[in-house]
Amino acid sequence: MDTATSDFIIGTMVAVFGLVGLILAAGAVDNGIYVFGLSLLGFACLFNLGLIRAYYDRRDAARAHAHENEGSGHV
Amino acid sequence: MAIRHEFFEKNAIFLLVGTLLTVAVGGIVEVIPLFTIETTVEKVQGVRPYSPLELRGRDIYVREGCYLCHSQQIRALRDEVERYGHYSLAAESMYDHPFQWGSKRIGPDLSRVGGKYSSEWHYAHMQNPQALVPESLMPKYAFLAETPLETGDIQARLRTNRMVGVPYTDDQITNASVDLFAQADPNGDPAALMKRYPKANLVAGDGRRVTELDAVVAYLQVLGTMVNFADTSTEKLQQ
Amino acid sequence: MSDITADAMPMMAHAPARVVVYNERIVKNAVIMAMFWGVVAFTVGVYLALELCWPAFNLGYSFTNFGRLRPVHTSAAIFAFGGTALIGTSFHVVQRTCRTRLFGGDALASFVFWGYQFFIVMAALSYVMGFSQSREYAEPEWYIDIWLTVVWVAYLIVFLGTLMMREEPHIYVANWFYLAFIVTVAMLHIGNNLAIPVSFFGAKSYSAFSGAQDALIQWWYGHNAVGFFLTAGFLGMMYYFIPKAANRPVYSYRLSIVHFWSLIFLYIWAGPHHLHWTALPDWAQTLGMAFSIMLWMPSWGGMINGLMTLSGAWDKLRTDPGLRFSVTAVGFYGMSTFEGPVMSIRDVNALAHYTDWVVGHVHSGALGWVAFISFGAIYYLVPVLWKRTGLFSNKLAAWHYWIATLGIVFYITSLWVAGIMQGLMWRAYDQYGFLQYSFVESVVAVHPYYVIRMVGGLLFLTGALIMVYNLIRTVNSPTTAPAAALRVGA
Repeated sequence: MDTATSDFIIGTMVAVFGLVGLILAAGAVDNGIYVFGLSLLGFACLFNLGLIRAYYDRRDAARAHAHENEGSGHV
Repeated sequence: MAIRHEFFEKNAIFLLVGTLLTVAVGGIVEVIPLFTIETTVEKVQGVRPYSPLELRGRDIYVREGCYLCHSQQIRALRDEVERYGHYSLAAESMYDHPFQWGSKRIGPDLSRVGGKYSSEWHYAHMQNPQALVPESLMPKYAFLAETPLETGDIQARLRTNRMVGVPYTDDQITNASVDLFAQADPNGDPAALMKRYPKANLVAGDGRRVTELDAVVAYLQVLGTMVNFADTSTEKLQQ
Repeated sequence: MSDITADAMPMMAHAPARVVVYNERIVKNAVIMAMFWGVVAFTVGVYLALELCWPAFNLGYSFTNFGRLRPVHTSAAIFAFGGTALIGTSFHVVQRTCRTRLFGGDALASFVFWGYQFFIVMAALSYVMGFSQSREYAEPEWYIDIWLTVVWVAYLIVFLGTLMMREEPHIYVANWFYLAFIVTVAMLHIGNNLAIPVSFFGAKSYSAFSGAQDALIQWWYGHNAVGFFLTAGFLGMMYYFIPKAANRPVYSYRLSIVHFWSLIFLYIWAGPHHLHWTALPDWAQTLGMAFSIMLWMPSWGGMINGLMTLSGAWDKLRTDPGLRFSVTAVGFYGMSTFEGPVMSIRDVNALAHYTDWVVGHVHSGALGWVAFISFGAIYYLVPVLWKRTGLFSNKLAAWHYWIATLGIVFYITSLWVAGIMQGLMWRAYDQYGFLQYSFVESVVAVHPYYVIRMVGGLLFLTGALIMVYNLIRTVNSPTTAPAAALRVGA
């Protein structure tokens, strides 16, 4: 599986979990579910932010790599 | 052998399925007969579903992890029977979802603690065990006496128990809340409660405000008291 | 197996035709989190031991009482420390023995890892808040169980997918054990946790089973949490890290086949030995006992295969502290898998059950086997993953080894004495034929041994803290990776 597909599938799945968490927290009748729901939402947000960060990290690394190769080509 | 084993070693799916089949056997052979053999649970008189207050007490027993120090299972060994009473029957925990047999005795077995001590003793002991038993390792559960019991969902709790197999009647579910408060009201009229839940013990409280400790004491006081052993015989208890 | 790693390879002059870039980041994260959870588990354990010595340490708060903290300790040890170590090492091993990157991309692997960490935090939090199913080693309520199921399915997909994408003709033996661990734990987890919640917006649920049936299902799960989580998974670890560290092939390929299949077949049956003399029907108890005794053989098959792998390389024990941990772990594994069948004999169990002997037995497995084999793997992994020549200090690792071993010895010997004493006191009769001791007399009698146990736990924790310090210094020491060297040179 290539990275973009994997990111998309997992990212979407986790976003759905985050929404489920939000719904659970909204309807919660006790603290157990309330805390879990909100935490799940928080987890989903952090996880997907992590995916976004990893994407830009990869892009920067690829650019730096390309740049490096260009430089060495001139030598 | 090594050659044949390549079958699993070179195909992850075969390895997965082979493993799953291998590990499934033991569980199937042990668990399924336990549900189908009728004598697994003895036919004895007297075991009834927990009253609403007892059930709530049991929920708190589960929540606080009491089973980590107290077993509820008297083994069929001479010294245990002499120390704690008649060995435990499968029938006595047939409405326990989940079971609370436990696996460790940091404190004594509780399967027949019902009626052994007065309710006053339990109230005092739960709040400060060392005041009654100085050598005790038990934590203090004074906070239970200060926490009002959550009673709003008592019908739902009984209904859920019915879904997993506890034979609560419609009558019992309809009157769940009434029964719960009746059991925590020593000055009220317990006739209806006693009819639905024979041998239920009334606990302190004023019939309006019920604490978690009231529920726990009601539960402890019914433990092991449901079966009348004078009424039964060894043959009847054969599994 | 190639130790040339991802970032180094493109820089090399004679790069092989196919460059495999392993996902090492996830393994690094797992190493860090495993050490963190290890320290948490040991600390809570020591605190619980203190509570059992002097109950005033319970403090009277709901969330500091023994009953709520004990699942925090067991879950932190088994699932947080052990589970994280297993996920991390399985990802490391499966990539390298299959010569392929983890299936499903980095996102899926990250989901498995962080989803699992989330499960641990949620479980621990729920116990102290007062939510528990009261199923030993499966205390989390239904919603956390569902979350774990999702994470676990993802884990199976990653692992199985990687196996299927492998570039090696054979699936290496360590992976059989990891796979058996993953798939069996899935089966056990789902079977044991069947329950109906009171409300979909409430945490409380009632188990689908009751009484004797529920007891058997719980111990079918409980004993195989030992068998597949704490044994099969860690045997996978053994089968990779001991040969790697000793630089020797596995002793007997045939033995590994025989003991793999017999171990996974027999383990499942052993659960009822937790229920001897109870209201569980006798036929089930007898089955459990018979299979527990048979289990001794495949267990020792694993031990022999692990120990004999060192033939010709025993001298490495003097120089490689990580390997010393791994090998001692296998020794403890052999000891506890002998003690276990003995305790499963009905008449021994009559004495041992409900006493601290069982707790001591569990800890000889948990500290001696599970923790030591993980320590060995982590001592090996840190220099490999962070590209260092070796540990910051082998001497500190040796100190860790001796302090931890001493801690285990304190722990298990004190609980042997305490447990057998409890068992004997409970069944003692005086000259008139009455029970000689009240229950509380047995509580008083074991107090000194509880204190020794607590000291043993403290020693073990101290050793782990030394390890953490050593690993941090190792990571902070200069790297030896060729990539970095090139960059510095350029």
